[in-house]
Amino acid sequence: MSGPPAGVGETVVAVEDVSVRSRDRLLLDGISIDFAARSLTAVVGPSGCGKTTFIRTLNRMTELTPGLKVRGTIRYLGQNIYAPGVNPVVVRRRMGMVFQRPTVFPMSVFENAAFGLRIVHAPEEEVDAAVTEALQRAGLWEEVRADLDGSALALSGGQQQRLCIARALAVRPRVLLLDEPTSALDPAATQRVESTLERLKEDIVLVLVTHNVGQAARISDRIAFLHSGKLVEVGATADILERPREKLTEQFITGRFE
Amino acid sequence: MSPSEPLISVPAIDDLRRDRSGHLVGRTVLDRSAKWLLPLLYLVAIGPILSLVYWISVRAVPTLSWHVLTTNPSGEAGGLYAPLMGSLAIILLATAVAVAFGFLGGLATAEYLSDRAAETVRVSANVFAGTPAIILGLFGYFALVEYLGWGPSLAAASVTLGIFMTPYVFRATDLAYASIPRHIREAAVGSGARPVQYLLRIATPIAFPQVLTGIFLAMAIGVGETAPLVLTTNQYSLPPTGLFSKAGALPLDIWGAYQNPLPGIVTAAFQSAFLLLVIVVGLNVIVRVVAVRSRRRLEGLYR
Repeated sequence: MSGPPAGVGETVVAVEDVSVRSRDRLLLDGISIDFAARSLTAVVGPSGCGKTTFIRTLNRMTELTPGLKVRGTIRYLGQNIYAPGVNPVVVRRRMGMVFQRPTVFPMSVFENAAFGLRIVHAPEEEVDAAVTEALQRAGLWEEVRADLDGSALALSGGQQQRLCIARALAVRPRVLLLDEPTSALDPAATQRVESTLERLKEDIVLVLVTHNVGQAARISDRIAFLHSGKLVEVGATADILERPREKLTEQFITGRFE
Repeated sequence: MSPSEPLISVPAIDDLRRDRSGHLVGRTVLDRSAKWLLPLLYLVAIGPILSLVYWISVRAVPTLSWHVLTTNPSGEAGGLYAPLMGSLAIILLATAVAVAFGFLGGLATAEYLSDRAAETVRVSANVFAGTPAIILGLFGYFALVEYLGWGPSLAAASVTLGIFMTPYVFRATDLAYASIPRHIREAAVGSGARPVQYLLRIATPIAFPQVLTGIFLAMAIGVGETAPLVLTTNQYSLPPTGLFSKAGALPLDIWGAYQNPLPGIVTAAFQSAFLLLVIVVGLNVIVRVVAVRSRRRLEGLYR
């Protein structure tokens, strides 16, 4: 495995031998990978390879699907999030998540961005400041500042997705998990989300699931390639794209299978 | 084939309506007759309800007055104060009963039960909703009036009617919560919301208008329902004063009066019918307003 790219800090999330089993099959098989501060790792692989399941194990969203069993250890800043007594709600507040489709709530733009703070009863001044900052970091501030009380449902799909990023950022997570965040967006909106993500990787850990190798090439530092529930290869983006060590990886990035 | 020859010959539009001998073709005949037939069928469909409203209004409206609404029944001369108050008291208490059971049941089914258990509850609720109301009346009579010794009373009538209305509230609640898109729940949970926070801050504001619609519809159905009442309370000339006092109701007045030899009593039946119609229409108007407003607020959520 090649060394971490320049500018990358200490390990924030360490995945150690994680397997996930549903009622009838093995979805993930012995995954081990570290995520360092200030990095963007793209998780790629063909449909059904387990990339969504993988990203959902990182903040225990797997628990929403009945019948999934997770084994192994995932450490967040050294602490096993699957240890008994760990509250998954707290884990999810540290590791935010953005989904395939925009998932704004039927409330104002401001309240959408403030949601994570409201549920922990943050004081009003803090909410104001954090929402403004989050909307700026998500690259949405200039577009919505005039009408923060307008309904979030009135925004375009791309704006809604950046609002979902802002909602996740408002609680200042160390990690942001993104599950194909641009798959429902048009190219222009995709481009804006991508440039938002490029800026964000300057200060937090981003884990991006994508089926789009081009997107991984454009914005990721590192690519992890999953196939049939196994982590086939992980390495610096340029290395994976130009000199993949595994045959499967090469076949995937050259579009030999989907 | 010469290059100028068209690949397909397209007949002029006019030709499509006629066959070679110049007669109108079948679909044109059908199309033209439908233009007349459909409005006619529409009239046939709404005719009965129009004539119903007309005949009741003609008999009731000229005889209605403030006096009728504010005095108790007394032979041929009296008003409808007692049955009107009785009906309002019964429907309010029955709604409380139906909301208590129907809302909680619907919420539990949509949010907490496993798929299989939820399906079982739904099927049972549908069967329950199809139970003839008179059977509930019989149950109310034996369980409440006789066994618990409540006697014919406001409480017995309200609880029985409330049970009758429960499946309607249940169904509306279940549907309202169960139809919230899954990704909305995931987003709330993914933002670190506890399940109860999702329920209170996200799901309920989305589902509430639909629940409210269900409650008002249940009221509109319940207020005119007679069978649950005939065995659990009686016509009574004074308004109810407590839970266990007797309580009249507008449908019971109609039920008790339509064959009466005294024309004044029959008039009272028409007045009761008219008041019931007004209440039912009023409740339905509220339902429309709530539905339209919430649709506007939630526009775009379900795409």
